[in-house]
Amino acid sequence: MKTSFNYLLLALIISLSSFTKAQSLDEIVAKHLEAIGGKDNWAKLKTLRTECTMKSQGTDINFTIVQVDKKCMRQDIAVAGMVGYNIINNKEGWNYAPWQGHTKAEAMTEDDVKNSQDELWLQDEFITYKELGKTMEYIGKDDVDGTECFKIKMASKDGKETTYYIDPSTYFVIKQTEKMTSNGQVQESSTFFSDYKKLDEGIVYPMSISGEWGEMTITKLEINPKVDESIFTVAK
Amino acid sequence: MKKLYLLTALGGSVVLQAQSPVNSAMFGTMEARQLGPGTMSGRITAIEGVVNDDGKTLYVGTAGGGVWKSTNAGASYKSVFDKYCQSIGALAINQQSPNIVYVGTGESNMRNSVSIGNGMYKTTDGGDNWKKLGLDSTEHIARVIVHPKDPNVIYVAAPGALWSDSKHRGLYKSTNGGETWEKIFYINEKTGCAELLMDPSNPEVLYASMWQFRRQPYSFNSGGEGSGLYKSSDGGKTWKELKNGLPPKPFGRIAMALAPSDPKQMVAIVENKKTGLFVSSDGGENWKNLSAPMNVCARPFYFSTIAFDPLDAKRLYRPAFQFAYSNDGGYSFAEASNSGGWVHSDMHALWINPKYTNVMYVGTDGGVYSSMDRGVTWQFNHALPVGQFYHVAIDNKEPYNVYGGLQDNGSWMAPSAAPGGVGNGHWSRVGGGDGFWTVPDADGKTLYSEWQGGNMNRVDMSNLKGENIQPQKTSKEEKLRWNWNTPIVTGEKNPGNLYVGAQYVYKSINQGRNWTRISPDLTTNDKNKQKQEDSGGLSEDNTSAENHCTIFTIAESPLDENLVWVGTDDGNLQYTPDGGKTWTNVSPMVALSGIAKQAWVSSIQPSRFDKNTVYATFENHMYGDHNTYLGKSTDMGKTWKRLNSNEFTGFAHKIKEDLMNKNLLFLGTEMGLFATLDGGENWFRMKNNIPEYVLARDIQIHPKTHDLVIGSHGRGVFIVDDIRPMRNLNKEIWDQDVYFFPTPDITLVNGKFGWGGPDVSGGWYAGNPAHNPPFSYYLKQRISSGKATIEIYDDKNALVQSIPGTIRRGLNKVYWNVHGTPPKVAEGSTKLDGAGFAAPMVLPGTYTVKLKVKDKEYIGKANCVSDENNKDYSLEDRKLVYEKAMALQSLYNKINNSIDSINLYQKLLTTDSLAYSKNKNAKAFYEDLQKVKAELMATKKVSIFADEKRLRENVSELYSTFCWMEVKPSTTQMEAIDDLQKDYEKQSAELSKVMNKHLPKHPKLREKKKVD
Repeated sequence: MKTSFNYLLLALIISLSSFTKAQSLDEIVAKHLEAIGGKDNWAKLKTLRTECTMKSQGTDINFTIVQVDKKCMRQDIAVAGMVGYNIINNKEGWNYAPWQGHTKAEAMTEDDVKNSQDELWLQDEFITYKELGKTMEYIGKDDVDGTECFKIKMASKDGKETTYYIDPSTYFVIKQTEKMTSNGQVQESSTFFSDYKKLDEGIVYPMSISGEWGEMTITKLEINPKVDESIFTVAK
Repeated sequence: MKKLYLLTALGGSVVLQAQSPVNSAMFGTMEARQLGPGTMSGRITAIEGVVNDDGKTLYVGTAGGGVWKSTNAGASYKSVFDKYCQSIGALAINQQSPNIVYVGTGESNMRNSVSIGNGMYKTTDGGDNWKKLGLDSTEHIARVIVHPKDPNVIYVAAPGALWSDSKHRGLYKSTNGGETWEKIFYINEKTGCAELLMDPSNPEVLYASMWQFRRQPYSFNSGGEGSGLYKSSDGGKTWKELKNGLPPKPFGRIAMALAPSDPKQMVAIVENKKTGLFVSSDGGENWKNLSAPMNVCARPFYFSTIAFDPLDAKRLYRPAFQFAYSNDGGYSFAEASNSGGWVHSDMHALWINPKYTNVMYVGTDGGVYSSMDRGVTWQFNHALPVGQFYHVAIDNKEPYNVYGGLQDNGSWMAPSAAPGGVGNGHWSRVGGGDGFWTVPDADGKTLYSEWQGGNMNRVDMSNLKGENIQPQKTSKEEKLRWNWNTPIVTGEKNPGNLYVGAQYVYKSINQGRNWTRISPDLTTNDKNKQKQEDSGGLSEDNTSAENHCTIFTIAESPLDENLVWVGTDDGNLQYTPDGGKTWTNVSPMVALSGIAKQAWVSSIQPSRFDKNTVYATFENHMYGDHNTYLGKSTDMGKTWKRLNSNEFTGFAHKIKEDLMNKNLLFLGTEMGLFATLDGGENWFRMKNNIPEYVLARDIQIHPKTHDLVIGSHGRGVFIVDDIRPMRNLNKEIWDQDVYFFPTPDITLVNGKFGWGGPDVSGGWYAGNPAHNPPFSYYLKQRISSGKATIEIYDDKNALVQSIPGTIRRGLNKVYWNVHGTPPKVAEGSTKLDGAGFAAPMVLPGTYTVKLKVKDKEYIGKANCVSDENNKDYSLEDRKLVYEKAMALQSLYNKINNSIDSINLYQKLLTTDSLAYSKNKNAKAFYEDLQKVKAELMATKKVSIFADEKRLRENVSELYSTFCWMEVKPSTTQMEAIDDLQKDYEKQSAELSKVMNKHLPKHPKLREKKKVD
């Protein structure tokens, strides 16, 4: 009886440990995709218009972002009476920041344009990474703000790396760290995601995005709005 | 059913363990400020660079500060090893795939204070993630080599344990990238492998320097029959000893190099009775002795680096006590110039860029220097904060200063906060040599500093002049024995008491001008442990580092100045209850609790809550025992309980009791900083921007700012600003889903300092603490859906400001700038309008603070008080400023309403562009509006260097001034308000005129406007 009990315990421990191991990368990704509303719902996403607000010591900075999947995006920023913008497409990028003294839109460097290409893709990167030619690797577990997360790294051929931290209780990405070489320097930045909400279209989206620069709250999100593509042309 | 039950039980226990309520994750927001500095840096043990065209990527291994990476040739560094052992012995890069880097932990410069490693690590992504590879028990690793053609072949030279016999030493080889290891060369339990060379033209040819060495707490021995120089021609399978031309054995440590451009050319510094420099031109088969200067051959156990220029077999470098170089293969040596600034002595690492051999980096006891001219002149790398503090102290000034002494870098002080934030340039040197205790006197003008072996000064802080105050032996004493790290301590109860300890305790009540011996010899006085003059082994090396049977720690009770506790380096823990008349040795009782008998008493903490309670740490690593020993007695040392935890790693240096909460304790060890909230039952590792295995040597808590100040031996000083939330957290709180902590009084001030400007001396930057306490709240779980927001309301229940909150598990902090909400700014300006970021500072009073978490509200109060330090700003002044700022805000809002209105009409007029172009009236209306707008605000498109000011800019400027002022406004400032009011009325009348003139002609527009 005792032997069989020990055997049972052993078998159980083995099964428990294999359960932990069995939490394979594929499984984590599958659960993540399920948590954010499923691949099919995301596949319907072609254009996106986002309005968001960043609060800084009581001051609101308003952003309007219009994206056309894989093609282009425009971001308008309204701060203290001024309006600036940046535009990125597959070939070039422009930045007009009058608060920095710009009197006209200024061209982005090749590195900056290249490094921004991922942002043109509206789909979750766990859906598109293969198409983007990226490799994915499970690193292990790591702490994010007191939550022990799955840590998954994606690397592109040109050396850009993105590390995703997935909360095991929700399978949402709660942190993302990007590392890239830009204009001769290695740059690293982290972004945090929270307040995930299910939208009418079925996809689940983080309504709060924060980083070293502050916190941005999405106030309005339009899925597949009609987009007048002339807004992606720079007024020269 | 039974199966199911078992599953639940087991699963449940797993979950319970994983979610132990109190852990470091709770306090993640209490991020430590890494004060550094990079000013004096610390001992560097390894430097390796990526061999590519730009040569900008470097990895630096340090004695106690982990691994740092630079991708810009040393201009800045990033710590990449914060989660692992901080003592680094060797680094190796797989140059075929340079993101693969190996780290051998455990430094091999075997001085008394050297730390201990725990094996090999590997990264495959340039340092972002690391994997442990075994060899855990080697303790010290001197060299790691990656086979240049088959990078899965790795060699690890492990001298092994310093303080004990060990089989875990010798030369190890892996053929699978470090997954498994084979020990391929081993002499005996006393002899390890101290250096390994590989012939780049034939990587099967290896040279190994085997070294017999041992330290004891009271002596060092370098050398023995095990030492020797060996060669293998088959990748380490077989070895032969190289002897021809070398002196008779025994040898000590051998430093050696071969010329990569001509690998048969070799050089070796062989420690023996007459340590010398030897050269070989046939791959080590035959050696010739060369005469060499003192600097080249001195201190062979400590200086083990020698290198050839990768392209020039005649150019030889010897970084040692000074940096020496030879142009003739070692026949003669010159020394580096100090033209580029003083270069720290004592060098242990050198990387020469093999592609551009003019460029090299040297690692010293005081940081990294780079050279562009083959080592002739050097420039200091300012951004490596790896100082090795032994102790840290604080004073009571505002802002308070931090003091401390460092290994080979003297004693220093710096403010804990400064205009612009604390940077390298804020540190001042207050003592030389190896620094240890650096203690400010309560008079605010004096400090005590020391250098090795009990040499101590009283220093006048106004001019840093020092007077030697070391007590001298009289005929009544034996020769005084001073520890390397001699305690100098002021009284906790009576800060006018100054204590120092040799084997006797001396006390002064007049700042060391005179001393009274208040004890007999408190050590074991074991004569067998007092033969330091014979220490060193083959090379005599006796720098007071091995002095033994000495007092190591002294602590006056915070409750009674006559109660003084003293601990020695040979196991005695004694106290006097009567100011030194009688002494009781409690060490036999300590030993009963399971604490090693002869262990150093590394710190003593008499409790400030109960006179009979005392804590002490003990460390026994010098006998090969790395256990964490922490003891507590509640009966004046009669009985002891050992406080232990599975979390503990590393031998113990310091126990610190909180000043307010008797259950909050901090423990610093050789491998981590730990805390307990329940008096020592449960401990957790502090990770909040503190390396997980930090060498935490000393801990202080500031009585006014509630800061935790940590002196680390390898990462400089850390300050965890304001630990009150940690102090206040208890089970009642952490069992709740949300808890909003009471907010301490908030002082109405715009920061404590002015701008300060950038630190022009550059280097490491530590920033400043927040100048006011945050709103603090505890969340049991992270919020995945929903938000946390802080809203502040005044006594009329009007919203003052809304601030987004954080949502992390554990403690969250939200800072408020003590101002209201800035006004909205109408669009169309060509300038960034400052008013959009400015709101009046609130008035003193109590504000209601609502913490909104998801759909629940938690109500708190914020008591805002005037800034007592600002005598130039009365309550009446505050009220006046607030009133005027609000008046200006109202004026500003009116201007913006007018602009909004103009913008709207202009938009409506031009919406139908075809109609607009044909309609003369519309054009005229638009242009008249534009004229008013151009008077209301800056509208011309100009560069930032051309200033255009109109009404809004003028109001904005004055409004912002009133928002940020902390002084009674001047008469011109007051008058300007009225003038601006009048200006606005004029423009407002003008706008009405335009409207009255044009609007009747556009009835549709009137209707449309109403609809909008």
